[in-house]
Amino acid sequence: MAKIIPKIFRINTGSCNGCDVEFVATAFVDKFHITSLNVELVDDVKDANLLVITGPLTARSESFLKNALTKLRKPFVVVGVGTCSVSCGIFRDSYAINGPIDKFVAVDVNVAGCPPRPESIAEGIAKGIKVLEQKLNGEVIPKKIDTIFSDFSAPASFRGRMDLNADMCTGCRTCETVCPSTAIKISEDANGFIHKIWHNSCCYCGNCAYFCPTGAIFSTNSFDTVKLQNEKYSDVNVSHIFYDECTCCGEKYMPPSRGLLSKSYIKEDRNKLNAAICSKCRKEENFKRMYG
Amino acid sequence: MKLEEFNNAVKSKISCGYEFKEDKDSYSNPSAWIILKDKRDSEVVAKAIKAYKGRCVVATAYKNDGEDVHTVIYHFDIAGTIINMQLQTDDATIHAITHILPSANWAEREIREMYGVEPIGHPNKDRLFLDYSIAKGVLNEYISLSKMQLGVSDTDVLWNNVNKEAN
Amino acid sequence: MTQTQKITIGPFNPELEESVYFKLEADENRVVTHVEIINGFIHRGMESLVTKKNFMQNLILTERVCSLCSNNHPFTYALAVEKIAGIKVPLRAEALRVIADEVKRVASDLFNLSMLTHLAHHHELMRDTMNTREHMQDLKEIIWGNRMDMSANQLTGTKYDLDEKKIELIIDTLDRVEPKLRDLQERYENDEIFREKTVGVGVLPYEDAIEIGVTGPVARGSGINNDVRVMAPYSLYAYRKELQPKVTLREEGDVHARAMARFGDILEAVRIIRDVVADMPEGDTYVEKRPHIPAGEAVVRTEAPRGELIYYLKTDGSQKPVRMRWKVPTFTNWEALKVMILGDKVDNVTMILNSIDPCISCTER
Repeated sequence: MAKIIPKIFRINTGSCNGCDVEFVATAFVDKFHITSLNVELVDDVKDANLLVITGPLTARSESFLKNALTKLRKPFVVVGVGTCSVSCGIFRDSYAINGPIDKFVAVDVNVAGCPPRPESIAEGIAKGIKVLEQKLNGEVIPKKIDTIFSDFSAPASFRGRMDLNADMCTGCRTCETVCPSTAIKISEDANGFIHKIWHNSCCYCGNCAYFCPTGAIFSTNSFDTVKLQNEKYSDVNVSHIFYDECTCCGEKYMPPSRGLLSKSYIKEDRNKLNAAICSKCRKEENFKRMYG
Repeated sequence: MKLEEFNNAVKSKISCGYEFKEDKDSYSNPSAWIILKDKRDSEVVAKAIKAYKGRCVVATAYKNDGEDVHTVIYHFDIAGTIINMQLQTDDATIHAITHILPSANWAEREIREMYGVEPIGHPNKDRLFLDYSIAKGVLNEYISLSKMQLGVSDTDVLWNNVNKEAN
Repeated sequence: MTQTQKITIGPFNPELEESVYFKLEADENRVVTHVEIINGFIHRGMESLVTKKNFMQNLILTERVCSLCSNNHPFTYALAVEKIAGIKVPLRAEALRVIADEVKRVASDLFNLSMLTHLAHHHELMRDTMNTREHMQDLKEIIWGNRMDMSANQLTGTKYDLDEKKIELIIDTLDRVEPKLRDLQERYENDEIFREKTVGVGVLPYEDAIEIGVTGPVARGSGINNDVRVMAPYSLYAYRKELQPKVTLREEGDVHARAMARFGDILEAVRIIRDVVADMPEGDTYVEKRPHIPAGEAVVRTEAPRGELIYYLKTDGSQKPVRMRWKVPTFTNWEALKVMILGDKVDNVTMILNSIDPCISCTER
């Protein structure tokens, strides 16, 4: 099996520079182990076989990116670093943005994050090298590559992949409203709400968790955001928030969240106060109790 | 520098009248607004700023709601005090002050490309940030002439894929 | 007859953190005789985007203007909103904002200095600077949850608070970092290899600095102090005069002077953080999570790591800004590059660029 020397060239297509700064940290701070990958940072794109691309691809960068791509010799791999490179993230739908980059170049590995931790960038490069080796040896690229750097950990407070506790959620849409990068979509079907968090659009800011009135949405400290291109649209957190059936009239309704109730009723027995009835029936019952 | 002193310095030179307002930020730092009746008076204010060894920090422009009028606000600094000079133009031109205050250079160029308001007499004609693939005056549109107007946004396209693949 | 060489640098180049395109002309001694700089590679149309997002979303969008001064943007944006809404921020929140800001300043300045020593091919000094910065990165990740974007600010206050344990962690980190910083400062000042590459290079004379209107360490390196924390103090700097930095002014106006002015900023930032955590005001960390923002306009300023940051905000009582404009230090400092580069060597161009600590994403928005 042929061994290759990964030769890295970074192209910034309009990033806020977070990913680029963290790329430098990844490359020059020993604890991120990039030296263990025996990579070389090259001065000219024509010598590269591993492209690291950051940014949402601005209008002005487009032609220069296309031009740079013509200089590469096959096989090469493309590692998109940062949420912007994957989905344009927070800058999507601006007049000045022509990305994401996979409109113009076949991306192999995506590293979501805003910016990703150097550990994730190192992981992205490591996975990129695997793909490069497979391309060189004419092997079939697998659908998934297991984590390479298993020794990295993040502090508990790290704002990583978001998760939802569906029991606490009422589908109030606050998270959808405050999310700056349209990473959350809530839809409705006959049984209730479907809450989706698309990690590749997430800018990991924690705004949703901060503004969530019930504490349903929260960030985990998982930085497992390095995925192959075929996982781009499926790396999604999907939760179902089901309607209850009113014990009184049989209508479907959204029950109040347990999280909200425990905030509102500190002492009383919540179950008694909130018998499983819809708000219409509750109004009627209250009316009868007071005037009936 | 006392704001009143600056006001006195420009009073006799501004030919078409203006409004002078003093303001304070949340921390009691004083600032002033000079609202010109005629945009041509911008040069005399700029000269006064220069005489006080001030600089142009930046300038803001916006299109007035529902009319073909642009408001331009220059933000000057004299020794730590902000002086805002506001003017209006209905013919998409202003008189550049870059020859008086070189610090206004980029601010005026940006007003040209983002709002299509020409700073007459500006030494530089090139675009600054806006790519030539995008029409000048892009910020004039209340709803920008982006892909969004063509019906489908990138967000819609990408989320369609998400909805197909993640259930 | 002299021979003119045409040289281009960029837009994609490992020596350029952010994309920019230089078209230079040089004489037979590789001295730059003409310089043209093409911008716009990082222009993302952000002033249009902010008017399409609500005030809560803009807390984060402003943070993504630039990751190196990412705390200053939401901070200054919040000041503008609070001025319009007439909201007085609790003193504890002001303290928390200043801590976050100064931590970012240390990390940002150290990153710039690492890049500078990298370009000066002084790898030992580069690694030591980078490793020192890592302490601040770790601190940011533990307290704020991300190494670059802290998400510390909230309209009317801050999202985060500090307990005893976290304050201890801050003090511990500073205790470890400060001796390293002092050692680095001494080396940057006196190291012969570094001096040789930077002294007398990329000179910005005082008069040019005044005329162009430069701010921040670029101004301080040419003998001008227009630090907003001193000239128009805001937040806790306004309430506690003793917090205001004793800025380092240098007369030389060269790459070295700017680096040393930055070192002055770093050590003062450490001192400021220590002073603030030693005397934390009690009380709330914000007034309201989702305040009502009436119609109005405001002009506010702060001192970012690179100098003066100004925000103009106009609102109409709705959930989104009508107009928001901001100007970062590099926007004005950039024109000074032409003065610095002309007459200097081609090989110094990327280092001179680095010496203004250019933040292109900030500048082009």
